[in-house]
Amino acid sequence: MKVLVVEDNERVAQFIAKGLREAGHAVDQAGTGRDGLFLAASEKYDVIVMDRMLPGGIDGLSIVETLRTTGNKTPILILSALAEVDDRIRGLRAGGDDYLTKPFAFGELAARLDALARRSQGTDRNAALEVGDLKMDLLAHRVTRGGTPIALKPREFALLEFMMRHAGQVVTRTMLLEHVWEYHFDPQTNVVDVHISKLRQKIDAGFAPALLHTVRGVGYRLGAE
Amino acid sequence: MIRLLRSVSVRLALGYAAIFILSSFLLVGALWWRTAAYLDREVDAVIVADAQAVGDRLHDFGLIGALQTVRDRAAAESDEHAIYLLADPGLHALAGNLSAWPVQIGGGPGWYEIGLARNGRLHATRIIYAALPGGYRLLVGRDVQDRVAIRRTILGGLAWAVGIAILLAIAGGMLIRRGVLRQVEAINRTTAAIVRGDLARRLPTHDSTDEFDQLSQTINGMLAQIQVLIEGVRNASNTVAHDLRTPLTELRNRLEELLRRRPPIEEAWSEVQGSVGDLDRVIGVFNALLRLADIDSGARLSGFREVRLDSVAAEVAELYGPVAEAKGSDLAYAAPADAVTVQGDPDLLAQAISNLVDNAVKFSPAGGKVVLDVRQTADGAAEVRVTDRGPGIADAEKTEVVRRFYRGDAGKGKSGVGLGLSVVAAVAKLHGGRLEFADGDPGLIATLILPAPSASGALPKPA
Repeated sequence: MKVLVVEDNERVAQFIAKGLREAGHAVDQAGTGRDGLFLAASEKYDVIVMDRMLPGGIDGLSIVETLRTTGNKTPILILSALAEVDDRIRGLRAGGDDYLTKPFAFGELAARLDALARRSQGTDRNAALEVGDLKMDLLAHRVTRGGTPIALKPREFALLEFMMRHAGQVVTRTMLLEHVWEYHFDPQTNVVDVHISKLRQKIDAGFAPALLHTVRGVGYRLGAE
Repeated sequence: MIRLLRSVSVRLALGYAAIFILSSFLLVGALWWRTAAYLDREVDAVIVADAQAVGDRLHDFGLIGALQTVRDRAAAESDEHAIYLLADPGLHALAGNLSAWPVQIGGGPGWYEIGLARNGRLHATRIIYAALPGGYRLLVGRDVQDRVAIRRTILGGLAWAVGIAILLAIAGGMLIRRGVLRQVEAINRTTAAIVRGDLARRLPTHDSTDEFDQLSQTINGMLAQIQVLIEGVRNASNTVAHDLRTPLTELRNRLEELLRRRPPIEEAWSEVQGSVGDLDRVIGVFNALLRLADIDSGARLSGFREVRLDSVAAEVAELYGPVAEAKGSDLAYAAPADAVTVQGDPDLLAQAISNLVDNAVKFSPAGGKVVLDVRQTADGAAEVRVTDRGPGIADAEKTEVVRRFYRGDAGKGKSGVGLGLSVVAAVAKLHGGRLEFADGDPGLIATLILPAPSASGALPKPA
């Protein structure tokens, strides 16, 4: 995918750009708000990483607002050193699609960008999801693997649904907490790991190949390979 | 001069003096009216009555009657100050105690104040000149030389009074200014000392209802509050420094050893991985502190809404069920019969309950039962209770555990940064509630008490 990184800190920008390029993405960089706005408005990107505080008079939020009022719907991830809930809400209200606080792990950023780009492709509204021989019928609320029905509790179902919608992508623990549980805090224990391993018991035990993979230090990935 | 006028104390003193002088002038005016002016009015009334009497005689008995009256009155010894003169149209004296028509009285009838020679001396007199029927003219008056003397005495006395009043006003104003200045300067000196860093200083107070004293007491209260806050910040930064220093030390040691030892590349990678873990711990402490600051600031109050506390608790129980299971213990949620509603922030309430449950599960022995229940008390308050079979908290520690970074003996070696219960306490405070601990024999009963939503729907004020 094609990513625009608007970030004034040279080292942070390089870190993001290098990581994304290694993952096979095309990356453009802008160091000021003016350049960022120009690139975002004139080129077509799959997703934009926008630092909130930028030099040169135009800050990240006003770029987002400008893009949105001109009808540009490119998914935007706002990157900020401001962690308070108010700032997060302000960022999303300005038209950002996701909000990540510095300092961040690259895996977290990459996973969120993947999810944003995927979401904008509009694969969200399917009534049935399929990963390998794992099938989910959203209307009947039924899951089968290789034809064998699997009984899931409501939360396990929601967890699996999110994983299947992002099949092949890495999803992080924070993303799962935010989207499956709608919690915006870090529980003291890694509760997500426990839920994932219970889910794995149900969908992978006794079947081959394993579908639910742990990506060390980052999160999880659902996929046949 | 203008700078002087800007001083409150100078303005106060001048205002006082002005009011004092003005009121003494009013007083002197009133005295004058009641004394000297009163005498004038009395004399005038007597003169008018006399003139009236002569006029009446002329009317009733003709010229003879009037002449007789004037003669009688002028001859009477009773009033040596009386002056009478009846003259014909040619101004020739007919009767009275004036030898001739005074030259000063020309023009028309009316009041005259003239000097007349009496007993060889010039005396001040007050005379009414009336024209009678038939062209006759009448002068009735009084020698007011005495009254002039009295008036002069009174005037002199009043002038003295005014002079003294002005002096008193100035002296009083200066005294007031000194008094005000002294108290303001006391406040100034103390606050200046505080600005220099002597936070223990307090303004002197005298336990009175005097406004300055009340101001001093208010300022002292404010200073005490500031001192408490600063102590809090100092303590927090000490503990922050300590709790950040530990992972930072480990990180530094790890990296330094890596540089010094230059191990095989595979081992180096694992050391770097460990370093990132150390850093994540530092970031975790930061995030927890920011979260606490966010809660403490009260900014979250704006997001308060009606929250089903029982649903929030049920979801937390569902989140932690598998965690307890994995530890071989059992987490049970006892739902209330009816919905329990509070005004609050659902995310914060979920975090608070999850921290309590997290601790309970963490400290429970294998096979121990953890119970989470929500209920509404008789007075309408909502209670979230977490009961575990763990080691509990010693009485002495019950108030300590909510302190930031506090970690009890039981918590040594457990995961977490030591802010979990601080967050619960901060959330409780934000919602106007509190966190209580009781012994469960064995174990701990942690209760988060949230006040009933007020009837007006207003948000509870954070304590």
